[in-house]
Amino acid sequence: MTFKARHTFAFLLVILAANLLLAQRPLDNPQQPDIAPSGHNPEVLQGTMERAKPTGPTVVTGNGINYHGGPVLQGNPVPIYVIWYGNWNGTGSNTQATVSLIDTFLNSLGNTGYERINTTYGDNTGNVSGNLALASQVFDTGSEGTRLKNSRISAAISAQLKSGGLPTDPNGVYLFLTSSNVSESGFCSQFCGFHTHQTLNGADIKWAFIGNSDRCPSACAIQSTGPNSPAPGVGGADGMVNVITHETEEAITDPDLNAWFDSTGNEDADKCNFRFGPTSTASNGAQFNQTFGGHNWMMQMEWENSRGGGCDQTLGGPFF
Amino acid sequence: MRASYVCLFSIFMLSAAIPQEPVSPKLTPTIITSTRQVTLFTGMEKQMLQAVQKKDRVALEGMLSDDFEVAMPNADPLASEDWVDSVMAQDFILKSYVIRQMSVADLGEAAVVKFERFQQGTYKARNESGEFFVVDLWKKSGDSWKLANRYVARVGATSSSAKTQSRPSGKE
Repeated sequence: MTFKARHTFAFLLVILAANLLLAQRPLDNPQQPDIAPSGHNPEVLQGTMERAKPTGPTVVTGNGINYHGGPVLQGNPVPIYVIWYGNWNGTGSNTQATVSLIDTFLNSLGNTGYERINTTYGDNTGNVSGNLALASQVFDTGSEGTRLKNSRISAAISAQLKSGGLPTDPNGVYLFLTSSNVSESGFCSQFCGFHTHQTLNGADIKWAFIGNSDRCPSACAIQSTGPNSPAPGVGGADGMVNVITHETEEAITDPDLNAWFDSTGNEDADKCNFRFGPTSTASNGAQFNQTFGGHNWMMQMEWENSRGGGCDQTLGGPFF
Repeated sequence: MRASYVCLFSIFMLSAAIPQEPVSPKLTPTIITSTRQVTLFTGMEKQMLQAVQKKDRVALEGMLSDDFEVAMPNADPLASEDWVDSVMAQDFILKSYVIRQMSVADLGEAAVVKFERFQQGTYKARNESGEFFVVDLWKKSGDSWKLANRYVARVGATSSSAKTQSRPSGKE
């Protein structure tokens, strides 16, 4: 082989190696699988004791939930971004009345005794503020169709970030709320909502899916008629409020899925899922357990990371 | 020499095409809010497993319908009494378990409950640990639910290998 031939041969080999290396790179987000496993693998099996990790001065442990070293969201307030997906100008609970109600909810939840339960969680730089607020919202009438899977939700959120419809904020929580004509793999049979995080538009974005519980009232609604139902049997908005609460609490205390959860993988809200404590009866006969922002609400309790740990309705309140 | 170039060029072109193929993307873990039924049936399945751990025959039988049976690959269905006897045997020790990936199809008077169960246990000192795919059919009975049918298979078991194994023990 001549010198020139050897040179060319070596050059081609370098390009070949570079190509092969490129081939090993995973595809960029948001091309994600549609059935995702739980993000937490139980460290120990049922029936064994939890063991708290040694942590820094701002992290309190030993209350039935453990810290795993990751960050919490400390914003005061934590900005909440909403993508209203599907048809929110429809009938039943798929209406602007639901949009307005949930806006009111998100703008009044911050600093309530309920939300301040979250202040019992922190990382090694500080605690959760207990404050959150609706920062901005957009409507997407169905850019990814009505049969969603995780990758399509990612794509829809990503499109909003890239177009500037919503800011790209790694310190916020993005809620993807779907009308009842929209399906999502696992919604209604396995879950009522979920939260996750992934790199979108170059940032670590924390987002949650919450479907309109009117799609499956027996699975995801608390009661057929909620305290804010526009008509008997239309409980979707109240059902969504409950799941929004669940997902936002968890997205704040475990945004990257590596902060707060127990030995079975349960996060703070999971530990009290569909547990409400004492309730009162509204004028329309619906049950409620919280009052703020000029409305009654029916919301699951949260796990307080103090006093030994337990589900309660307000910071420092009795455990139920 | 020319043949070598052609060969190398072909590999080069092939490798350049590889990035266009779908590569298994990184999983996005999600933390779900379980439905009411998933919460309910997770609790009931755990009650059954706890009854097995405690050898509480009354509690276990109280959760089964009269015609309950267990179906497994490559085996005859196991009747309720035989299954209860097998899991109540003192030499079957269920050390621990984890239930995950449950989904529930609510059919009104019945519910189809699918989940994966990882267990650690022994039977006559033989290892009965492993991961199982379970489909349970629960039926309404007044205000409660009774387990009517169970379909269970070890995760990863193939039909060919299963045929060579001994008859399922019922501990699955």
